[in-house]
Amino acid sequence: MTGVFDPEELSRCISCGFCLPACPTYAATGDEASSPRGRINLMRALETGRLDADDPTLLEQSSACLGCRACEPVCPAGVPYGSLLEQWRDHQWRGRHRPPLARLLTIVASLPPVVRAMGWGRFVLPAGRGIDKATRPATPGTPKQPAQPTPPAGTGASLMLGCFERAMFPNVSRAARTLLPGLKVPDDQGCCGALHAHNGESTKGRALARRLGERLPGRIVTTSGGCAAHLADVIGRDRVAELSEVVDVSALPERRVAGRRVRVTLQDSCHLRNGLGVWREPREILSAVADFVETPGANECCGAAGTHSLLRPIESRRILDRKLDAIEAGGADVVVAVNPGCLRQLRTGLRRRKSRVRAVHLAEFLTKPDGGARTR
Amino acid sequence: MPLSTDLFDRLRAIVGAEHVRHTTGDLTPYARDATPLFDRLPDAVVFPADTAEVAAVLRLATEHRVPVVPRGAGSNLCAATVALNGGIVLVTTRMNRIREISPTELLAVVEPGVTTAALADAATAHGLLFPPDPGSRTVSTVGGNVATCAGGLRGLKYGVTRNYVLGLEAVLPTGEVIRTGGRLWKDVAGYDLTRLLTGSEGTLAVITEITMALLPAPADTGTGIAYFPDLAHAGRAVADILSAGIVPATLEFLDRSCVNAVEDFADLGLRRDAGALLLFGDDGTSDAVRRDLNRMAELCDAAGATEWTLAEDVAGAEALLTARRCSLPALSRLGSLTILEDATVPRPRIAEMVDRIDAIADRHTVTIATFGHAGDGNLHPTCVVADPNDTESIERAHAAFDDIFRTAIELGGTITGEHGVGAAKLPHLRAQLGDDQMQLLSRIKSAFDPARILNPGKLGS
Repeated sequence: MTGVFDPEELSRCISCGFCLPACPTYAATGDEASSPRGRINLMRALETGRLDADDPTLLEQSSACLGCRACEPVCPAGVPYGSLLEQWRDHQWRGRHRPPLARLLTIVASLPPVVRAMGWGRFVLPAGRGIDKATRPATPGTPKQPAQPTPPAGTGASLMLGCFERAMFPNVSRAARTLLPGLKVPDDQGCCGALHAHNGESTKGRALARRLGERLPGRIVTTSGGCAAHLADVIGRDRVAELSEVVDVSALPERRVAGRRVRVTLQDSCHLRNGLGVWREPREILSAVADFVETPGANECCGAAGTHSLLRPIESRRILDRKLDAIEAGGADVVVAVNPGCLRQLRTGLRRRKSRVRAVHLAEFLTKPDGGARTR
Repeated sequence: MPLSTDLFDRLRAIVGAEHVRHTTGDLTPYARDATPLFDRLPDAVVFPADTAEVAAVLRLATEHRVPVVPRGAGSNLCAATVALNGGIVLVTTRMNRIREISPTELLAVVEPGVTTAALADAATAHGLLFPPDPGSRTVSTVGGNVATCAGGLRGLKYGVTRNYVLGLEAVLPTGEVIRTGGRLWKDVAGYDLTRLLTGSEGTLAVITEITMALLPAPADTGTGIAYFPDLAHAGRAVADILSAGIVPATLEFLDRSCVNAVEDFADLGLRRDAGALLLFGDDGTSDAVRRDLNRMAELCDAAGATEWTLAEDVAGAEALLTARRCSLPALSRLGSLTILEDATVPRPRIAEMVDRIDAIADRHTVTIATFGHAGDGNLHPTCVVADPNDTESIERAHAAFDDIFRTAIELGGTITGEHGVGAAKLPHLRAQLGDDQMQLLSRIKSAFDPARILNPGKLGS
């Protein structure tokens, strides 16, 4: 035994294989090695010493996994796959095995926000996606812990700016402040550490989350599904809310474009959905203010997957192209994202194919009269 | 014995280099299936694209006397796809096309790697029904279903996989391609090799195409649940329902441990304090479904149900069935190692079998949770062991299952209703079949597989 993994978590998988149909990489390859069950068997081989950390399959699969955690809600045995993946990468990506780009990104994420906003963080920094251990949904698509209906305004709640989001999409937090004017927005926030946790530095990732929890006392509202899930794992679900859990749309007028209601669809944030069980809330909001169309596979990863789109661009783009086909086929004007990594991924892909569909963050969709749709 | 470089070259020449795996890392995920305690690295994994490639791999393997273990999704529960003697694991997941759905002939033609759920969905899209629905239907392949003669929740009314296999294309271990049966319900030309291959667990031939009968989809379905003080009371209700002339599509029971494990996963609001739960359901015309559901509820009530309720809508019913299908993996929440069996007894002996299982669990001081297909006598006593490394507990579990198998045979039942023999239950097979039949199995095996390379250490070995 090498002590890489929490033995209780690793032994919980009974290899039933119920996760196989939920896994995007298994769907792409049909190879057991790129399924959650296969990866857990690889982790076990690492744990028992059957394979050592230099093994090419271990290296390949620890990186090929999207970390989307779609396997968790469908797992009857309750295997905390996201947590196991963190432990795997912590060990697997030590020293020279760590993808250099992943190392660079976590360093950039730790820089003061001003530096990031000015410089290269804008170009390279992807979205963090949170992994939580304590909270996971009970059944496919059933949120176990519904949002507390606590009003965030005037109760000491703070808006988290997000290190990647504030650099790349500053309009998102601006929009969030418009929607939730009562929130405090301290400037000196730092990173939540999700990016670190998912790229082989879970100890640092958790420490950063704890520090952020101290800097922003009380409830923390975030516009990033990935940050929400990681933060909730470390500082507690009751202290974290994602925008769609707290925003009140009853007073908002419907989004209109070209004399009709905007047609909108949603791309779930994997960790928001699979980690925190939040997926109904944004749909209810969008249905209230626009014509909501469900896109088949909206619950599946868009290929951004934290650092995945940068570390494995070809595979990422293959996943994205299928998704964009589905989005365009649905006839929506706008696809709404609830995580900056997904937003970047969708926007880049839609621009590349000169699509008429626009990718917009939920906060922006709710503050623009036309929801950010293309006006013709 | 590791395979030679030359053999690997020839495998690559057949299926393409990217469809052959040989490193320890790449082989590791294929060392086991869904059966606990069986783990053996194969020497190679190959992914053929079509019948011709399967035939070429088998010819090569026979020539070199290398074992070949056919594998679909690896969701079987009898270690049927573990390469006990090493050799080549032949995976069918690339052969995953639905070739035809014929509403006029009421059949489908599929490749073996199509998942059960994909076939069922395709049938539904044509207004048809593919009845067999094993618990692992979203995962399992149709080829694997045929190879293990998979059962499922609808067995009582609709039978099991063998009742729907009309014809097969299969490759013999020596490389010849045979076609058995066809598109006809009536066809008595020759021995019924279709039935022989169905449930042969990959020991006689590799199935490469399946012609599967379908039924018109029923107009309506309905599901209800009843709670009982214990499994014995639920067993009596089952007997009452069946003797009242009702043959429901679904009649499943779960004991308290199972109900709690399922509830932990699915959060359906099931009663955790009940001793047993009976899930009953039927399909057909709306009137008939309504009438049968109400009668079943009345019979449950009369048999001592503490409470019963009917699912409000299709989604509610489907949630209940989905939760039931997850019983086994959900039970692993109670302990890291779950050993599941599927001893089956004639319907009138169900209550007795349930009592005997309880007594056996007490005698061996093991925790056994029981769920199963009450209507067809197919029980799934599941032994939960807290620590997978506790060899003493595992031995007690095995001793308990020895007793359970003996009891099932004594009551006129079988050691396995639907999971198969594989490597897991081969040691118990002789007790049920006797020496003469075991020898016949071996001779049949030799007729198909003279070099005895196909899935050695399983049926026929």
